[in-house]
Amino acid sequence: MDRNQATKRFYDLIWPRRSDVLRVARFLCRDAWVADDLTQETLLKAFRAMERTNVAETNLKSWLLTILRNTWKDRLRAGRIEASMESLVEEPASHPTIGTEDEDSKNDPQTLLEAFSDQQVIDALKALPEEIRWTLLLVDVEGLGVQETAQILQVPDGTIKSRAHRGRAMLRRTLLPLARERRLVTEDVKAQKAANLRQEEL
Amino acid sequence: MSDDYTDEHDEAIDQAVAARLAKLRAMPVDTSHLDNALRAQIPPIRQERRILSLRPLRAMAASVLLVSAIAAAIMLTASSGPALAEATQMAQVHQDIVSGRIPVMQVASIAEANRMLNSQSPGAPTLPQMPDSHVMACCMKTVHNKKMACVLLKDDGAPITLAVASAADMKLASAPVTTRNGIDYRVQKVADVNMVMTEQNGKWLCLIGQMPADRLMDIAAQVRF
Repeated sequence: MDRNQATKRFYDLIWPRRSDVLRVARFLCRDAWVADDLTQETLLKAFRAMERTNVAETNLKSWLLTILRNTWKDRLRAGRIEASMESLVEEPASHPTIGTEDEDSKNDPQTLLEAFSDQQVIDALKALPEEIRWTLLLVDVEGLGVQETAQILQVPDGTIKSRAHRGRAMLRRTLLPLARERRLVTEDVKAQKAANLRQEEL
Repeated sequence: MSDDYTDEHDEAIDQAVAARLAKLRAMPVDTSHLDNALRAQIPPIRQERRILSLRPLRAMAASVLLVSAIAAAIMLTASSGPALAEATQMAQVHQDIVSGRIPVMQVASIAEANRMLNSQSPGAPTLPQMPDSHVMACCMKTVHNKKMACVLLKDDGAPITLAVASAADMKLASAPVTTRNGIDYRVQKVADVNMVMTEQNGKWLCLIGQMPADRLMDIAAQVRF
């Protein structure tokens, strides 16, 4: 395909999806300019691929996010992106739960999460380990299926399900202190149950 | 049972977290920096864009031409020769100014009235000096698209409207002529409102008021352009 055709296809097909790629990059990177740079490199790679081959028009978003993922990994390897200090294995076995059924209606998970601003949720997301963050970004934020996400991240479907579950749990654990601080939640049900059990034993 | 409950509850929270994260998808993303960088590296195809952008330009140019042609036709029709101010029209103008039905500018002198009218409508006809009259207010009116400067005067407590236009724009009414000191006055009456019209130094002027036509002609005689 010549450059003119590739340019036309780029502006017709890729250009409308640039904000999807940029959003993932922004939630992934700590600095906005690094995210912009990462997205730019991703889209230029997509353009060059269009010049070389006839790129299918289906699953373009997945294709672009795969390029983004590979570009991000290359940069990580080259030390051009700061790796997260957190590790996937550092997750505790149990974690607190927000609210119980007989607590005030403000402990309703949906209501509780709506009380957080977008920025607070993004900050909590950015604090997650990278692989977990990638999973939540693709599955929950971008709404991709488990299989599609597994292909992009090159891991089995089960790993995506597990990471998604763990990621959401970690996220609510990150948000819980903030919720308590803001008196959005009354007590931690598991902690309360444990205290009750201890009392019964005594 | 409570373990089952907490599992279900955890599941509900999981779903709530997923739903909250999904809402981030609707967040606007500022792509301006990225757009500039990409356009610099992958310039859009100029030829096609020019062709595409010329189409609306041509359509717009055609529309402008059409509107201009219509406007020119209207203006030519409207400006073909001097307009005739009907006696009823002029009586109405006077009544409207006196009763405050039309917006006027409060002024204390003819000089101030001229300044105000010129700032409102550049090129407005210049009002003449009226030595013995008390100037109260002024406004611009149009008759058949011709500009007419109006000033409200007070003569012995009675309001008079003096309307001035270019003699090229307004023509004198076909009305009985009264000649005084070599000047012809067209005298008309609508109900209890009298009016006199005349031309002086290329200006058309009309004095209107609820007073005898003779008094209006006396005042008109004082007009100095």
